[in-house]
Amino acid sequence: MSATAAVDTRVDLGGIALRNPVLTASGTFGYGTEFLPFLDLRRLGGFVAKSLTLRPRFGNPPPRIAEAPSAMLNAISLENVGVDAFIADKLPAIPEGVTVIASLFETDIEGYAEVAKRLSAAGRVAGLEVNASCPHVKSGGIEFGQNPTVLASLVRAVRRASDRPLLVKLSPNVTDIAEMARVCEGEGADGISLINAVQALEVDAETRRPVLANVLGGLSGPAIRPIALRMVWQAARAVSIPICGIGGITSAEDAVKFLLCGATAVQVGTSNYLDPGVAGTVADGLVAYLERHGVPRVADLVGALEIPAR
Amino acid sequence: MADPSPLRTDATVLENRAEGGANRRLVLRIAGWPGFEPGQFLMVSPGSRSAVPRTDPLLPRPMAVYRARQSDAAGEVEILYKVVGRGTGLMAETLPGQRIGVVGPLGRSFALPQPGERAVLVAGGTGIASIYELADRTRDRRVAVLLGARTADDLMGVEDFEALGVELRVATEDGSRGVRGLVTALLEEALGDPGPTRVYACGPTPMMRRCAEIAAERSQPCIVSLENRMACGFGVCLGCAAPLLDAGYALVCRDGPMFDAGALSWEGLP
Repeated sequence: MSATAAVDTRVDLGGIALRNPVLTASGTFGYGTEFLPFLDLRRLGGFVAKSLTLRPRFGNPPPRIAEAPSAMLNAISLENVGVDAFIADKLPAIPEGVTVIASLFETDIEGYAEVAKRLSAAGRVAGLEVNASCPHVKSGGIEFGQNPTVLASLVRAVRRASDRPLLVKLSPNVTDIAEMARVCEGEGADGISLINAVQALEVDAETRRPVLANVLGGLSGPAIRPIALRMVWQAARAVSIPICGIGGITSAEDAVKFLLCGATAVQVGTSNYLDPGVAGTVADGLVAYLERHGVPRVADLVGALEIPAR
Repeated sequence: MADPSPLRTDATVLENRAEGGANRRLVLRIAGWPGFEPGQFLMVSPGSRSAVPRTDPLLPRPMAVYRARQSDAAGEVEILYKVVGRGTGLMAETLPGQRIGVVGPLGRSFALPQPGERAVLVAGGTGIASIYELADRTRDRRVAVLLGARTADDLMGVEDFEALGVELRVATEDGSRGVRGLVTALLEEALGDPGPTRVYACGPTPMMRRCAEIAAERSQPCIVSLENRMACGFGVCLGCAAPLLDAGYALVCRDGPMFDAGALSWEGLP
């Protein structure tokens, strides 16, 4: 039986037309080309490239990563080649027919707006994803995504700087994710990506030291999936713009869970490290799921979570 | 020659046997094996593949390709490893016939010695697994292999090196095999010969650092092969950063694992 003819996997993520809802998450997929030996990127809805800053940036000293149960911690600190090198060297190396979403961050709002402007002038970029989980220098280092007022000014500034479809990637390290989602919608974002890594700390009891040189890191992987599902569900009930679900996806069934909780698309993250072909497996498995359940369109799953009456 | 393009696949375990001490030898059959160059490595999933993917421990382990031989369209790939934690413990439990996820071969390869140059290969502990192929490919030249470990039990692969017929010297810290002491003392002796020599070192960071110092004192080039934690092995997670003397970081997986010893900032290495 034909795997693809029977079901419609297309989705619209805030103006970004995707052939299927399976993307890969920024910071776990490099600039795409690293995966070419393992995966035909055209099997995916697209990918979100590593977050870019105005100038190239070095990361933190090692150790930068550690394991935790069904998870890993990282404190890379957003090492990247810079926006100009991305446009000049990385974008042209991505095969035709691959949807590229560019992720950006800076330490002040003017910086974000400038990176957004430069990316928007690059033909290959289908949309932007604002990484709002970085410390804001001018507000004393608090994450942009942790303060509704700061988040609002950030989204407003990037919205002015770019006419491309605009996603905002939210931090899970907040009290009320629904409020942050509403702020993004109110300032003209076209969609919301969540969740970024969960702030975490792991300790070596023998040496009495933190396992990461940076002390704190971000927890990612299957352990955070139920937290992510909860936040996607809460955000989806708060806004009408589409949501891209992220957090510990390793299989098509995991992706389906996010769609049911209200995500229009998903991003596979940490699993790309373990298996550089996993996003293709998730995309294929999603088709098999739709066929097995007699669902004609993947969009029919979005928000279709059934909560039994009590 | 360009390094072979890596695979992501499930390998079949052919053998997984004790090698003395906590060391084991894993032999994998890998369909479509593209061959490998000396010093390259595989990312090996911790334990056998089952219907439900394992998430704990989550990350694959970087393992040097010890040696490989081509048979039909597959490779029989040997890995020497030491059981040190949960991941390698699960690797030790895998049985012949079971499947195990692998990605590779990854990383750059050792540059072979220049014509007229003598090669001295120094390896300690599990670092021994990274230099066998280099020893094999340089055995027609002037090459000396110096192996070190804590005890005779901890020494891996010595019989294989003996079978290569290369000049071989062994040091153990307790004197249970070869000379008593550190392998770096053997390097000092080997570099008593002032002719052009290229030193290759792989092992614990203090050992490699000392090798770099000894080579530098005698103005001989030294290449070190680093080990580091890594989540992916192909330049994406950026977890395996090694600090450079100039500025910034190199990635052990993508820019290494071998580096010119003089390019590294040894203070900052984990």
